[in-house]
Amino acid sequence: MQPIISFQQYGFKYKNQSEPTLKEITLDIYPGEKIWIAGPSGSGKSTLAHCINGLIPFTYGGEATGSLKIGGQNPSDLSIFKLSRTVGTILQDQDSQFVGLTVAEDTAFVMENKAMPRPQMKQEVAAALDMVDMLEYIEQSPYELSGGQKQSVSLAGILSTDAEVLLFDEPLANLDPASGRKAMQLIDDIHRQSGKTVIIIEHRVEDVLQQAVDRIVLMNEGRIAAIGTPDEILSSGILRSYGLRPPLYVDALEYAGLPVTGVTGLSHPQALDIPGLKSKLDSWSEQVGVEQEHRQAQALLEVRGLTFGYDPKQPVIQDVSLQIGAGEVVALLGNNGAGKSTLSQLITGILKPQSGGLSYDGQDISSWSIRRRGEAIGYVMQNPNRMITQHMIAEEVGLGLKVRGVPAAEMKERVEQALRICGLYPYRNWPVSALSYGQKKRLSISSILVLEPKLIILDEPTAGQDYHHYKEFMDFIVSLSARGMGFLLITHDMYLALEYAARAIVLSGGHVIAEDSVAAVLSSPEITKAAHLKETSLSLFAKANGLASPERFVQAFINEEKKGKGHE
Amino acid sequence: MNRTGSLYVTGNSLFHRLDGAVKLVLFMAWTVMTYMFLDLRVFVPMLIVGIALLVTAGIPFKRMAFLFWLMIIFTVLNGIFILLITPTFGTRLTGTDTPVIPLGYNTINAETLFYVLTLSAKYLTLLPITILCIFTTQPSEFACSLNRIGIPYKIAYAVSIALRYIPDLTEEFRSTLNSMQARGMGISKEDGSIMQRLRNLAAVVVPVLQSALHRIDSVTNAMELRGFGTQKRRTWYSGKDMKSLDWTIAVLGVVLLGAGIWLKVNVLRNFWYPFS
Repeated sequence: MQPIISFQQYGFKYKNQSEPTLKEITLDIYPGEKIWIAGPSGSGKSTLAHCINGLIPFTYGGEATGSLKIGGQNPSDLSIFKLSRTVGTILQDQDSQFVGLTVAEDTAFVMENKAMPRPQMKQEVAAALDMVDMLEYIEQSPYELSGGQKQSVSLAGILSTDAEVLLFDEPLANLDPASGRKAMQLIDDIHRQSGKTVIIIEHRVEDVLQQAVDRIVLMNEGRIAAIGTPDEILSSGILRSYGLRPPLYVDALEYAGLPVTGVTGLSHPQALDIPGLKSKLDSWSEQVGVEQEHRQAQALLEVRGLTFGYDPKQPVIQDVSLQIGAGEVVALLGNNGAGKSTLSQLITGILKPQSGGLSYDGQDISSWSIRRRGEAIGYVMQNPNRMITQHMIAEEVGLGLKVRGVPAAEMKERVEQALRICGLYPYRNWPVSALSYGQKKRLSISSILVLEPKLIILDEPTAGQDYHHYKEFMDFIVSLSARGMGFLLITHDMYLALEYAARAIVLSGGHVIAEDSVAAVLSSPEITKAAHLKETSLSLFAKANGLASPERFVQAFINEEKKGKGHE
Repeated sequence: MNRTGSLYVTGNSLFHRLDGAVKLVLFMAWTVMTYMFLDLRVFVPMLIVGIALLVTAGIPFKRMAFLFWLMIIFTVLNGIFILLITPTFGTRLTGTDTPVIPLGYNTINAETLFYVLTLSAKYLTLLPITILCIFTTQPSEFACSLNRIGIPYKIAYAVSIALRYIPDLTEEFRSTLNSMQARGMGISKEDGSIMQRLRNLAAVVVPVLQSALHRIDSVTNAMELRGFGTQKRRTWYSGKDMKSLDWTIAVLGVVLLGAGIWLKVNVLRNFWYPFS
């Protein structure tokens, strides 16, 4: 069979860079395959995607070596539009991808550009939206849709083009776990029904593997590090060395002393054919899975009966009460639109509640201004671009100190300290624009850290970070909490909550529906379902293998992880 | 403004159903009519027709209040300044002088009063039609109309895309401002002198503009990947086909404009002042 995409000894160097970003890529992708391109940030996976959809060479110029054929033709001989008839792309940034003023218009965008007559267009739009189950939203504007819904609309628009290849650029970024699972399901359904070639670029291992893929292409430093089926890649244990996180249950097996080399069926949390698996894991859980006692910390922030609604008749936060102690790391979980961001805006004073109170360190802070609260409670927004205003990195971090009139010498020292902590010290004299998204995120956190607040609210701290940076960064958060700083982590990331938070508060529809240890929350199907979370693969794995106590197994894993960090 | 960034108010009045291009033709004819004359006998019927159309469109007053008061205040201020600065201007148009209100340095005469009344009516005739066009046209439909009357589709689409992303940018601006405020660089009174506050505001504008530029980049990519700009022409999902009603109204508009021009040339040439 003729490959639909064929890289032969392909290399690419961007115009303004001295080093090539892609080196010696040899990869054949055949029609109907489902390929997952994985790799840490900076590994060249996005560049590879640009080569496939034609943004290289038509938008981003540079030098290519070797050969690339798409549908048997050299992309430079085509136009980006001709290429888009073969390769349909769904971009990571849903806000930019969604150009129409309504769902219908956005779906119709490609047809409009092809100058399709209006009556035919109306029919095809309806048919495409029906395929992704979005027909009832046809008149909605993008502001009324969730991230997952926007993605479905994009998919509808691409499906209508008859492109043979569907390219998904980080489809899971910005989706909550349940929406992410739905998205993977939808991609899989489309793949099965249409027989199109599907290429997924992602770094979230466990989430992608929820549905079968044919081959994993592992990228590292611009080269292909490995190609293989999920089973081959997982049982070889190489993911971690390329900055990717293996599924939790695979880690758990290793912790329990069960070698995974050569084991098949690792790509799903399912019953495995390893002799003595159940008894070994059960005794391991029994030994290690003792829940550590929480020390009852003195409350740093206390929220009492907060209620708020943009329209007071429709509250988005209803009677929410919670406490965060000094030195405590608390996870705030919940689906998109559950009210997590609204709650943090209430705590930081950006929004004013209709009723309820807030106190910090025993003082009532309801009347404090944003500025005054900002000195005690740092708020790191999800999107670092919304926080960065300066041109140079050191200036950005020092900004808050400068307006507070801190002497220059002290300022320099504190800025350098904060940069060191966040791993940005080597870049201190760089312009902000030279940083990657993940680095910018760390920059925005260091600019808050430098002010030394006692409590920090982190909104999706690990979004866009690969495993290596993520771990480094979170370990650093833990070390700060040991010094008495409190953290509220707003997150979709279950691993993050599991490993780093002692307690989880679950919001759903503006109410607190659960407050318990993370392991307990994430092992309870009722709570995870209501809050659009996902039962962890650990607990699914435990149930599939008939372990005595799934919760204990989860706890054992957490304890091992924590211990493991101490060893490093 | 609603969250889609458009001012569109749903409804099913005559104006809602009219094609965007026809509305544009009507608006232009109306404007030309208004600027041609200085005659209350023309403006009063136009004003009555305009108000009748506006009332039947069923746009809630709250939505148009801002534009409405803006125009009223502008017109009133304009009238007051004319009366105060050139109290006898009307004499130049009519050749007569009937003193009415003594000002000390001069006297406002009846001719100027009537001139100001006519001028105000002239400005106000534009109000209903402007509001109608803005509030009853969907932005994308408007883009389609612009394209139909001969404006290249890339420019026409720019209108629609700008409206799509304005709310995103306002939101971005607001949240950046909030985060700066929390770091002690706000724009409220407690954040220092006016100069300092202005500087803080400027500091926020830069990254929002940068992010807008970045956004343009990624939106351009998204649009190119979906084939925008490769064909000579494109069709529009949300446009409508011209119906007989649209043709009738368009022709009516042009005929009335022709009649207006005829009137201007042959009958109502100058400022109309009934009392001389």
